Amino acid sequence: MLRNKTGKTGAAPVTESILASPGIEGGAGANVPRAAPNIAFAGGGSSPFTSRAEAAGAIQTADLLALVFLFLIMIGGYHVHAMLTMGDWDFWVDWKDRRMWPTVVPILLVTFPAAAQYFFWVHYRLPFGATFLCAALLVGEWIDRYVNFWGWTYYPVNLIWPTSLIPMALFMDIVLLLSRSWIITMIVGSMGFSLLMYPNNWVILAQFHLPSEQYGQLMTVADLIGYHYVRTSMPEYIRIIERGTMRTFGKDVVGVAAFFGGFVSIIVYFVWWHVGKMFSTVKYMKSI
Amino acid sequence: MKTRILTELARLVTRHAGRLWALALAAGLALTMASAGPADAHGEKSQAAFLRMRTLGWYDLKWSKTQVNVNEEYEITGKLHIMNAWPASIRVPERCFVNVGQPGAMANRIGVWVGGQFTPRSMELKVGKTYEFRMLLRARRPGHWHTHVQLSVETGGPIPGPGQYIDIKGNFADFTDPVKLLNGSTINLETYGITSIYLWHAFWMIVAAAWIWYWFTRRGLLGRFMWVASGKEEEVITPQERLVGAVTLGATLLVVIIGYSIAASNYPNTIPLQAGDFRNIPAIDEPASPVQIKFLGGTYKVPGRELTANLKITNSGKEPLRVGEFITAGLRFLNPDVYTSKVDYPDYLLAERGLSLSDPSPIQPGETRDVTITIQDARWDTERLSGLAYDVDSSFAGMLFFFSPSGERYMVELSGAVIPSFLPV
Repeated sequence: MLRNKTGKTGAAPVTESILASPGIEGGAGANVPRAAPNIAFAGGGSSPFTSRAEAAGAIQTADLLALVFLFLIMIGGYHVHAMLTMGDWDFWVDWKDRRMWPTVVPILLVTFPAAAQYFFWVHYRLPFGATFLCAALLVGEWIDRYVNFWGWTYYPVNLIWPTSLIPMALFMDIVLLLSRSWIITMIVGSMGFSLLMYPNNWVILAQFHLPSEQYGQLMTVADLIGYHYVRTSMPEYIRIIERGTMRTFGKDVVGVAAFFGGFVSIIVYFVWWHVGKMFSTVKYMKSI
Repeated sequence: MKTRILTELARLVTRHAGRLWALALAAGLALTMASAGPADAHGEKSQAAFLRMRTLGWYDLKWSKTQVNVNEEYEITGKLHIMNAWPASIRVPERCFVNVGQPGAMANRIGVWVGGQFTPRSMELKVGKTYEFRMLLRARRPGHWHTHVQLSVETGGPIPGPGQYIDIKGNFADFTDPVKLLNGSTINLETYGITSIYLWHAFWMIVAAAWIWYWFTRRGLLGRFMWVASGKEEEVITPQERLVGAVTLGATLLVVIIGYSIAASNYPNTIPLQAGDFRNIPAIDEPASPVQIKFLGGTYKVPGRELTANLKITNSGKEPLRVGEFITAGLRFLNPDVYTSKVDYPDYLLAERGLSLSDPSPIQPGETRDVTITIQDARWDTERLSGLAYDVDSSFAGMLFFFSPSGERYMVELSGAVIPSFLPV
């Protein structure tokens, strides 16, 4: 039906308020003009819509569908990336150490959010790219952990909980919002993304670092959980965690690890911002 | 008429070829799934025969119980000999971990002791030494479970040993795993900390959803895109919205700082994950064996599932000795002349009449005798050790046990090359 219509959308947007779309226009944005297609309605012969309200409703629905589809796609894409790269540090409580975990996780997770920030910020001026991605990742992770790790293999949630990421993502998004500069976001936002990870997660991790004596050996609760719940294919030496080195700053390992993670995250952000730029286009679709 | 029917049929099939393919695939998949049974094993038969025979010798294995209730503890005890014939293709176990090969967390591993040392982490074991071990497990999930002993070797992988079925009865919901902490409190590992994990994650997910929804409902996606495309990107975000962002940033940092402070205050004495390896694990202090064996040659008859080894055995002890048992890759081949009563061991790994000798009489003190031992049983095949004939290194290893009239037992490691004898074609 729509195929027979001509001039579905105008060439340039007009700025006007669509009063018949309170769902979109309500709240703080009510006074701000929104874009609406420069179209003629029923009787004009060039529009599939009979009124501005209907046009606004269609746009609203399209927006919502796009958002939901993007969310689902990001659950898949970002989740696969995360599991294949920093998987075990995020899977197991006895991998969440003070050296490798705060180094590896931010470096590998700042990737997709940086690309998403390009897409959402440059094309939509939406400051939620990182939060959107991290929320998608966490939804995917929680489904995976609850259904697979607990539902199928019965590992308790205190062994398999994912890293909390939302405050880190919010920080990066809001730095972009306030600075309006991807360079500042790259430097300040990525660094904050890394630095915030440990304190944010310590809220739930601290209880797993309480000490216990087991048959003459000192173990944390996290060590104990990892030891008691048998993972046949995961012998202890597989764990890539802090094992001590002459190069550490005594016991103050977290700060050094988080700053190092932050510095590398800056470089990774730069690369992935441009990955976002490279793929936020339809030019690859022209040949289809 | 027949031609017409066939033509119509052919046309019908051509028209629905895609659907028919899909239907056939679905039916095939359903048939495959219908025939699938529960997976009991842990891939122990898939490893090359020579590797399984030449790496580890497990013996004196005992499962304290095979029928337990949820929360009931049981033990696996035994001895582990690191074979001198350890193959070059696997790194020696200078960093390894004694593990339990079981289907997930059906039982909690309370502790493993090797040489009397509690070993919750990796350790170094030495080639040629024998170690006593004990595993303490606590039944968790009801079911019928195959439980192996297992040694995982860094860069080499897991080497499963013998397995036994454990039946766990009761209610999974009743399972607890109490652990005492240094601060004096006792926690249940099964549920510890889960509520706070859910609450912290749920809180931030709600914040994330609110943030996304707040911006999404301000002019959506298409509207914003068209604004930006028209060159008015600086007008899309209002000063009030920036203020909301700044307040959100402040609140986020405040919540993290307060949360961190509360955690630090609630748990002032925390320690990092413990990661040190164990060295100098005490091995069994075995007396010098009075038996010396020289391996003269061996053959493996593929059709007969029979290994024969020609040995020159010297008894330099004070008692006559009889060859009673050969163990390789967890399989026990018994000499029925020595083992006259029933042996408690998993049936699929026990060949009660699997060992015979060319001369079964005891080897007297000071005597040196040429003996041919024959190790024959269908378990060579069922446990896939007959694959030795096709391995890249056609050599075997195992432990030969000698018995004296006074009840002494001596273990001697036996290894060497074998020449296969194939089915005549």
